[in-house]
Amino acid sequence: MSYIHYPVISVMGLFLGAFLVEIFGSKNKKVRFGITLVFVTLATVLTYLLIKPVFFDQEIISYWMGGWKPEAGYAIGIGYEIDGLSLFFGLLIVTTFFLSTIYSWRYMEKDHHLGHYYTLFLMLCGAVLGLVFTGDIFNLFIMIEIMTFAAVALTAFRNNREGALEAGFKYLVIGSLGSSFTLAGVAILYLSCHTLNMAQLAALLSEKGLDGLTGFAFALMIAGMGVKSFIVPFHTPAADAYTTAPTSISMVFSGMVNKAGVYGMIRLVYVVFRAMGLSSVQLLLVLFGTVTMFVGVTMALAQHDFKRLLAFHSISQIGYVLTSIGLGTYFGLFGGLFHAMNHTLFKGLLFLTAGAVLYATGTTDLDRLGGLAKRMPRTTAYFLVGAAAISGIPPFNGFASKWMIYQATYEKAVSTGNIAFAFVTVIALLVSVMTLASFIKVTQAVFFGQCPLALTQTKEVPFSMRLPMAILSLLCLAGGIGYNYVMSYVLSPAVHSVSNAVGYVDAMMGSGYATAHKVTMLQSEPAALSVWNPVMWLLLFVVVLTAVTLVALTSEKRRGPVTTGQEQIPDGKYATFFGGEKSEHSHVAGSDLFWGFKKDWKGYFRVAGNLHSGNVNDYAVWTVAATALITLFVMIFIV
Amino acid sequence: MPDFILTFLKTALHVLIFPGLLFVAIGGLLLAGIDRKVLARMQRRIGPPIVQPFFDFFKLMGKETIIPNAARPAIYKAAPLIGTASLAIMMLFFPLFGHQAAWGSTADLIVILYLMTIPAVAIIVGGSASGSPFAGIGISREMVTMMAYELPLVLVFLAAAKKVGGTSLVFSLDSITAWQQANGCLLFHWAMIPAALALLLVIPAEVGTQPFDVAEAETEICEGPLIEYSGAPLAMYKLNTAMKMFVMTALFTVLFLGGINLGGGVLGWVLGGLLLFAICAVLTILCMTLIHAVTARLKVEHLFKFYWTVVAGLALVSLVLVWFGL
Repeated sequence: MSYIHYPVISVMGLFLGAFLVEIFGSKNKKVRFGITLVFVTLATVLTYLLIKPVFFDQEIISYWMGGWKPEAGYAIGIGYEIDGLSLFFGLLIVTTFFLSTIYSWRYMEKDHHLGHYYTLFLMLCGAVLGLVFTGDIFNLFIMIEIMTFAAVALTAFRNNREGALEAGFKYLVIGSLGSSFTLAGVAILYLSCHTLNMAQLAALLSEKGLDGLTGFAFALMIAGMGVKSFIVPFHTPAADAYTTAPTSISMVFSGMVNKAGVYGMIRLVYVVFRAMGLSSVQLLLVLFGTVTMFVGVTMALAQHDFKRLLAFHSISQIGYVLTSIGLGTYFGLFGGLFHAMNHTLFKGLLFLTAGAVLYATGTTDLDRLGGLAKRMPRTTAYFLVGAAAISGIPPFNGFASKWMIYQATYEKAVSTGNIAFAFVTVIALLVSVMTLASFIKVTQAVFFGQCPLALTQTKEVPFSMRLPMAILSLLCLAGGIGYNYVMSYVLSPAVHSVSNAVGYVDAMMGSGYATAHKVTMLQSEPAALSVWNPVMWLLLFVVVLTAVTLVALTSEKRRGPVTTGQEQIPDGKYATFFGGEKSEHSHVAGSDLFWGFKKDWKGYFRVAGNLHSGNVNDYAVWTVAATALITLFVMIFIV
Repeated sequence: MPDFILTFLKTALHVLIFPGLLFVAIGGLLLAGIDRKVLARMQRRIGPPIVQPFFDFFKLMGKETIIPNAARPAIYKAAPLIGTASLAIMMLFFPLFGHQAAWGSTADLIVILYLMTIPAVAIIVGGSASGSPFAGIGISREMVTMMAYELPLVLVFLAAAKKVGGTSLVFSLDSITAWQQANGCLLFHWAMIPAALALLLVIPAEVGTQPFDVAEAETEICEGPLIEYSGAPLAMYKLNTAMKMFVMTALFTVLFLGGINLGGGVLGWVLGGLLLFAICAVLTILCMTLIHAVTARLKVEHLFKFYWTVVAGLALVSLVLVWFGL
């Protein structure tokens, strides 16, 4: 079987699996998990097998459903088209849902109606994978619809928990607004170009240029994708959804659902609407990206729920990706795609550790946790890797990609002479420090410090939950150290295909079609990024590790404030008092940290807190208003 | 593979002896001694001998290490070492008066910026791992301090990069030094003087000396993150503080006085090392001892406000001036 069938089999397999789980898997947990695992593994393996033709041989796979090839220069069938960009996101997606599936086995064991869970899960996976593989813009909309509704249902899956239904409702309202914008955009495009194939749309739009109507379609679709990727001000349902959804699903949301939105934006801006000047749209994207990363991280600093905090960080990191991609340079594309990949890895890891804490203790409230490092040592280690990676501490992967993003933004600033981009660099660097601050808060509040009495019996999570975390931790480290390899084998093909709109059109519509319709390539620049030297860092690590091991081997005497032999015995006679408080009451909880900072910023936090009112009417108004602003921008500066 | 072994030996030599661990450790401890001596003279005391920090260090190394029950031993013990390692290798990124940096290929302002955060993170993680509530308050303040000085620091770096690079992207310290060799030290370009002042004010906060020692605040929260530490790990933390003095003042030297050229060869290296130390000693007295002697500790919210308004303002003035070609 030729590899051109792999993408469609992956996607259809996942949908087929969804139905099979619903039919056969409602009673027996092994059957339903088995079915899920088989189809998820199938999709994962088939997608990984595409690496050779697409990444190494630079081939663009085109596939026409039912053999409906273009007739007389018009694409009438539904086509799948997989270039480097699609496969790049496809790989992120399959990795995410494969690990999430393994994690779900034990994590979801206490829940009921798991048949529905796996059905919805497979629908979600199939929809997101289909979204990045499809070459048809209406098909893209269909996939967005399936994705949104599966995501809404999964958000409210634990509907016995407080806020789950509310979160689902918010997601439903805002998500439907986004889908409607997308649908309206698709309809307008069909009206003006009489085709739904993205490759042909790109060619036709290049030929006749952008007018008011297609510009409006672009604005609507960018807004629709913005809702799916949860950029500010469309981020409002994200915080609740990530918090209340089962954690295996939060990981999927952050690892692939919002990546799907990012993919859609890249595809629209760089390929389908190739015709418009990139320099004009880039201001819009950079502006949204910068606001997103700043608002996301400051809101995260104010949170005291582990998962909610991670949700706001997801928003913030997507801001980095968007900013970098919006620059419209090779630097920017490399940095943005790399950060998208790293975000999938480290945020997936962090959500899984949050899930492990929830599984082991039953809460994610930072003010009620503490001192878990001794009870869950492995989870703590994985969490520290994830936290270091997201804060950009060398040598983890987050550092490498953020480094590229800073260089890209400042390069843009000095080469255009526009000081505004310099402030984007400054904000990006500050956001990174604030990210670090907020993960210090989690470290202190959850894993270190004093253990509350209620949590003294906490146990480490089972192996099947630790395995995905271990894999993601290794990938975080590997991505930072083997940065050169990631650059040349994974990112280069993806960036190449973003710039190669001609190839994208020709693969679908027959060679020569693109040049006949005046499709242009993105101007290539030499990728003269500062190169990270992994050998030096490996040597350094050998030195540091040797030193640490030597210290660890030296004999030690363990003493402490409580010397009863057994720790945490609530015996007043031996307890240590801190300023009159017993040790278990004296833990410095998450909300009590960063007092000076919060005091100086109290005006900002008050305004931001009031704006996030939790009222879905307000949020819908934000969404519509932002869409109107985007439309206005497009009408003034692009058309 | 003799090539590989040679590279490894050379790197190990750089990391462990010069200009890495040993050089920075000895230089840092001497600077700490000078700081204490001069401070004492300013306060009309006789003060300890200049080598007193060495005595303190070796005494602490010989003491018993006690690990509290609430602590996570591995992280508790490894944290100070990670800080030491990052401080030791930071010097390898600095080009010394016309010589290439030992690790020139990766010498980059962003790498420096992140490496500088690691010692602070080491204190935070170590303190947090000790489980004490005093440490909890201390790490919170350390983090706020870090957020406070990061903004002016970034602005200083960007101003220097713009001044040197013009319309191309230059983040490399080697290029900045080369530019200074050709065009004179950055300190003597008047548009960069506010940035130099800003960096001088960042140094005491980064090192954590009075009045910016809110995180350790002995009289208030009993050295915060270090409260539970004893013996060898405590010695490493004290060493880290001393090394930070050296590395931060050396960073100022490289960034603003990199135009000094002392010729090549072994003599150039030795003279360079001595001159570097002399400049660092002057800077230490100027921006740490002097301020320490005449001020009292700030509150953390005042510290934050000071850095985000006054110091960041200074750096911003430089950035804007440089941006318009001055």
